[in-house]
This record gives sequence, structure tokens and C-alpha cells, in this order.
Amino acid sequence: MPRTPDIERKTSISYKTEEKTVLRGYDLSELAEEGYSFTDAMFVMFQNRIPTQEEEKMLRYEMGVFLEHSMSPSAAGAIGVSVGRPNLTSAIAASISTFGGVHGPGAAHGYMMKKYLRRAHEEGKTVEEIAKVLVDDYMDNGTPVMGMGQPQHTDSDPRAEPIHLKQEELGLKGVYLRLQRALEKYFHARRKAEGRRYVGVNVVGAGNTALCDIGFAPNAAWCIGSVCRGFSCAAHALYNMKRGRAWAASKGEPMVQMLDLSMIKYVGPEDRKVPKQSERQKYAKDQKKEGEYKKWVI
Amino acid sequence: MGDLKPKDKKGIGNLDDPGLPFNYSEREYGTVEIDETRARFQWVSEVAYKNVHRIVSRGYDTTELMEEGYGMTDVLFVDFQARIPSVEEDQMLNYVMIMALEDGLSAPAAMSRLVAQSKTFLTQACGASIHAFGHAYGAYSAFGNRLLDELKTGNENGQDMNAIAQDIVDNNLDDESLGVSNLMLKDPAAKRMIARAEKLGVAGEYITLMKLIVEKAQAASDEPVDIDMLGAMGSVMMDLGFTAEATWAILAVTRSFAAGAHFIEEIERSEYRKLGQVLTPKEMYDGEADRPVPPLAEREANSKPALSTNLDEWAKAEEELKSVWGSGASIHEEIEDPSKKTGIKSVGKKI
Repeated sequence: MPRTPDIERKTSISYKTEEKTVLRGYDLSELAEEGYSFTDAMFVMFQNRIPTQEEEKMLRYEMGVFLEHSMSPSAAGAIGVSVGRPNLTSAIAASISTFGGVHGPGAAHGYMMKKYLRRAHEEGKTVEEIAKVLVDDYMDNGTPVMGMGQPQHTDSDPRAEPIHLKQEELGLKGVYLRLQRALEKYFHARRKAEGRRYVGVNVVGAGNTALCDIGFAPNAAWCIGSVCRGFSCAAHALYNMKRGRAWAASKGEPMVQMLDLSMIKYVGPEDRKVPKQSERQKYAKDQKKEGEYKKWVI
Repeated sequence: MGDLKPKDKKGIGNLDDPGLPFNYSEREYGTVEIDETRARFQWVSEVAYKNVHRIVSRGYDTTELMEEGYGMTDVLFVDFQARIPSVEEDQMLNYVMIMALEDGLSAPAAMSRLVAQSKTFLTQACGASIHAFGHAYGAYSAFGNRLLDELKTGNENGQDMNAIAQDIVDNNLDDESLGVSNLMLKDPAAKRMIARAEKLGVAGEYITLMKLIVEKAQAASDEPVDIDMLGAMGSVMMDLGFTAEATWAILAVTRSFAAGAHFIEEIERSEYRKLGQVLTPKEMYDGEADRPVPPLAEREANSKPALSTNLDEWAKAEEELKSVWGSGASIHEEIEDPSKKTGIKSVGKKI
């Protein structure tokens, strides 16, 4: 049986021989035998180091609190895919892939913090001063401040403030938390002064801050959050595969199903006659000239 | 437009053909009325819910769980099994997940790196890596369900563990999902995992059965074999109470974290690949020799229809197509009722 790598690369992450699998120099089996946790291994993998106990606790908290979020785009994606009954892995892959620009712990929040911290360093500003600059930059341009607000938890994300508190309790109040706290303080004050409603910090704002303070780069943090959600989405997909009906359109269910025909609301062009092929050229030219179709172009 | 009559719909292609069992032109337009006789659609879940202020999984507020000192791995027990694990169970799950995290440049890492080369989101690469866990590389579903089914059937038939293990080996010695192979003859990691489960007191009937399967397979095999990571992780996870599917999901997602690291390293150390950039040397090609494209006008003379009008022709055509690699004619799939199983029983077996 061929045991050559599936892809040829120089890598500093790991190697695997017939005798052992080695991650950043540590035999994986030895790591597990020694009693390190899975979250410890995440530090080894992404940061090439053994974390302090407090750092490990922080990551365990962050991943635990982020893992399950009931019906979000990721769970809806997993459930939507699962009704066609592909392999379970397709539903999980879909759920992780939902983490794009607006859902979940994107790397952008981390990069935003790094950008402004770098600027503070270069311009000789304090962290608190640059937090105000950050908020003004975003709000003056009508751009949402990353890490603030959540469409379902409208008056404060139940995970976010506790993450801040846990970070402080564990003595992990680094420069990122200082920036995030200052940002929030100024953000709230400015919105209040403008007579706008309260918008709390979300799990990205709090979670990414903690992950940055314990050394994870923005993309590593994004990976940790999005992949972690894959666990619970697998549970949601499995529940639907084992307890629900395939296709999600059965008339026999007491509740109207997700894909029941009556769930469809159509707001497109009115029903119309298919042109004969013999009329096609004139029809097409007239249609293009008339231009009404343009309002439907997406 | 917008006020169509049935007569407007006459004369379109074959739609007036009397062979149709219905009158196509009479069929209604418009969406289906909202069904007021049944409850409206809701996302129904027994796993979790949330409101404006809380996220609750299996009855436990997840923020309260973390504040109480539970961790990510505990939530996996809550989500998949609706229970709080013992300290030892949580330790064992951590152990298994560490071992599942990294596997060098095998399929999940390779897939993640290939996706990374196209300059896309990290999450797409992590998602792609999950697809590596098919029924050979990540055969936890087939492995676990076999143990589950054979134990059930064996118990119903009054067989002891020895007999159940022997039956499994007799019927599956060469199956990629047996959990016994020649992959870990020099690496003690799989055996250490089993020993750790026993030391922590979390070993149960699946580990007992797995050890017997190893014994029987070693006796039956012509070459040295031993428990591999599939056998160790699969049996330990099932003794921790996870179903075969939950095991499959958890371990595939676990590996996906490392796929993220490989994505990042690929971006950091390699370059993106542009469309058309990658060449395939002719030395790698063993298909038809280079040949001229026949003139379109001579198409009839050069074309070869696939139509078979009797079973002999059909059988002959099936055989002929097997010589065309990539046609799919050499792949045989046994289809099971897809509404009962997650996936099909066997994928990609050669006839």
C-alpha cells in the first residue's frame, strides 16, 4: 500500500512516520499521555508553544461558549444540506463554509485591531486614544464597527461580556482587551450622544479579542471559531437525518415543512408565454430594447 | 404577459402529445397558497435553542456551563448525548481529539492546501477538508455501525463476544473499515489509547470487542496486523457513548482545525495558482495517442452511437466502456435506501 504524502510540501507543522506522528516537534501520543488537553494542542499547532494554564482555560471557555448557537446560518446550512441525505460530512462542510464576511468570527476583526494598534504605536498614541480614532473612522463613514451588534441577540450577546470578564478573571488583560474595552466605551458613548439605541459587543468582538490576547493570529482565530461550530452543526444535521423526514416537504407532517410548496413566495416577473423559436430573434431584440428585464438582473 | 390562457400554451414542443398522462396547457400558474390547516414552519430541534438573551443546549445555558468551568469537549457530550460527562470521559475525549488533530500531509491537509492555492476563504478550505472523511479515510460510520449491529444481532442470538468478533473478522478481514491493518505495526499510539481508556475506567464493550477482533484478525491474516487509529478511536468514542455518526463528525471536524493551519502555512509559504498555470506533463498521460479532429462534415462517418437496443449489445457496451478510465463504467455502487442511511453502503468499488 503506498504511504507517500498526498501532496509534496515542505511543512513546519507536522510529520508522520511509521513510528509516530509529530506536531511541532512533540509526539502527539506523548502530548495526550502527559495529560494535555485538546485545547493545549491547538496552541502547539497554531503557535508552536505550550500555553499557560490560564491561556488554556481561556481557549476552552471561548470554544465551549461558541460551539453551539442553535439556528444560525451555519446550522441552517447544515440542516438544509442534510435534507437531501448526502453523506453527513457534506452537511458539516457546508456549515463551516457559511462563515464568510458577516457570520461568525471572521479574521477581519483581528486585523482591524492589529491595524489600529500598529497605528497607535507609529503615531505615539495611547491604546485608548486610538480606540476613539477607530470608532470615529468607522462611524463617520457609516460603516458598522466590527465586533459590535448581533442580529438575534439584539440587546447584548449572552456570550460576549462574560468572555471579557473571564479574560480579566484569568489575568489575561492584554493590549487587545484594552483596545476592545476602550473601543466599546467610546462606541457606546457616541451612540448615546447621537440618541441611538444600545448595541452590545458580540461574540466576535469579545472572542477574537481573547484569542488575540492569547496569541492566535486572526486567521487561526477564525479557524478555531468556525470549525468549532462545525461540531454543533453536525449534531443539528444528525438530528434532522435521524429524526426528521428527508426532503423536508412532507404533507404528512403536522407542521408545514421547510420546503413545502406553500413556503414559496414569488416576487419576480409575471407568468408569460414562451416565445416560439421562429419568433425568437425579434422577441429577444424587442425585450432587450424595452429594457424592462434590467430591473430583474442580479 | 401575465394573463395567460390555456390556448396560449398550445403547440409547445411535445407538450400536447397525447402520450402525456395530463393536459399540460391546463396546468395552473402561480404559487401554492399558504397552508393554514397546519402549524406554520418552525425550526424544530431537540439539540438547542436561543432567544435574545440565552443560548441553551439540551437544557443547559452554554454561558453558564462555561462559567461553571466546563469546556468545549464537555459541550460535545451535551450536544451529542444530552449529558454532562465524567471527568474521566472528558479526559479521554481530549486524548482522542489530540490524536485526531494532525496526520501530516494526508488528504484533509492536502485538500485544504489545494483550495488555499485558489485564493479563497479559509473556511472553504476547512470545509473542503471535511470531505476527505469518506468511507475509507474516515470510516467511522461503517466501523461503528458494524460493531453496533453485530453486537445487537449477536446478543439476540445468544453469541458471546468471542463468537461475535470471529464473525466480524470472517466477513470483513480485508475491509478498510475493520480497524485492524498493517498501518500501525511500529507506532504504539493506537494501543496506548486503548490502555489509557482502560486506565481511566471508561473502556466498555466496544473496546472489549475491538481487542477480540484484533486477536482474531491476527490469527486469520497472512501478514502482521494490529489495531489502527480507526479501530482505537472508533471503539473508544463508542465506549464514551458517541454514536458512529457522531464519532465520524467529531473526528472529521477535529482534523479540520489542522486543515486551517495547513491553509495558513500554504498561504504563507507558497504562491497562489492561476487558471491555466498548472501543466500536466505528457509523461503522466496514458490515454489515446494524439489524433486529428475529424471535419464536422464527416461527423456521421466518424461518430459512434452509444445506443444499445438489446441486452447483449448493452452488456457488450458496458464492458467496452470499462476500458475508458474516467467514464465511471468500472465503478459499482451498492445503493441502499437513502432515507434510512446517511450515505451508501459501499462507494467506488471496482466491479
